[in-house]
Amino acid sequence: MAFINYSKREIQLKIVYYGCALSGKTTNLVNLHQNVMSTQKGELVSLATEADRTLFFDFMSLNTQTLPGFNTRFQLYTVPGQPVYNATRQLVLKGVDGIVFVVDSHWDKMEDNVESFANLQENLIENHLSLAQIPYVLQYNKRDIENPAPLYYLEYCFNNRANKVLSFEASAKSGQGILETLNGVARLLLAKYSKSTGANKEQAPTTP
Amino acid sequence: MSGIGMLSVNDQMVIEKHLGDFLGKSEAQWTALVDRGGNLFSEAGDIGTLDVTVLSALAAGSFSATKELAKRLGEKEFMALYHEGLHISILMMSLYYDCLLLTVFSERTNIGLVRFYAQQTSVSLNACLETASQSSALAEPLTIDSELSEHGTIIS
Repeated sequence: MAFINYSKREIQLKIVYYGCALSGKTTNLVNLHQNVMSTQKGELVSLATEADRTLFFDFMSLNTQTLPGFNTRFQLYTVPGQPVYNATRQLVLKGVDGIVFVVDSHWDKMEDNVESFANLQENLIENHLSLAQIPYVLQYNKRDIENPAPLYYLEYCFNNRANKVLSFEASAKSGQGILETLNGVARLLLAKYSKSTGANKEQAPTTP
Repeated sequence: MSGIGMLSVNDQMVIEKHLGDFLGKSEAQWTALVDRGGNLFSEAGDIGTLDVTVLSALAAGSFSATKELAKRLGEKEFMALYHEGLHISILMMSLYYDCLLLTVFSERTNIGLVRFYAQQTSVSLNACLETASQSSALAEPLTIDSELSEHGTIIS
């Protein structure tokens, strides 16, 4: 839930990167942290196991001055992707404002991707939310691998609905597409505060 | 729902006064009102160069992570959580509307004193949160007259 502080003229928004294990959620945050301007970003905190697998969450904050008169603070979180950490994923989703669902483009990860997407919907229900209420974008990650699942197939699996959501091709490892993804979800979140784009604007069609 | 949607200038002033009073009486180092989503609402005191946003996110996560343990013990959740360090400790107390009172304190004071005043302060803060939540529910949605282009860059 967005928090508006009129005294500090600040809006705080929580964005969660969700997806199956090893889909590249942490890599997104690590590369964002390396690439965004230093004046905008806070510390990147990673609660990982010794094998660098996310145990609790990764976290970083980004400040922008997009809306005049208000500082916007985006709080970026990742969830642990491994199935055993479902309770943790539910906790991290608490108070979420926007979601980036990271899809692994490997063919053999399709089942995990689909399971994770279903798990996201279940965990949102646990938090009394749904994908119809929460703005989200899709990131088709690892597009640089050999023989990735084709785009039309990914769109069919994850974006096959009347109101298509924004989707982005990315290679989080090289940094390609990660800023576009974040800007995509940030625009969706800020649109409801901006008169020029209209309140509660519907999500735009797919732009792969 | 996590936390409250907004804080007016007046709400913020009242909360800051309660936090300041609490800090003075308990001799703690830093105190903050946060929600379990990790949002920092208000703070008082000096935590040095520590990133308070990160501190809030980690504390909120740490508190929420004990819920399952509480359930196993037959409690809905724990009302307070205390981490004792060699020199610095932290007390987290549950408040209304999924909020938390975080207090960082050093050896200058002790857990008994901090906890005593934290309990008193939590009553005052709960009343503030009740008021803030009611005004938040009645408030017009925030709209800002700005040009947010369809494909413009927000973060670069």
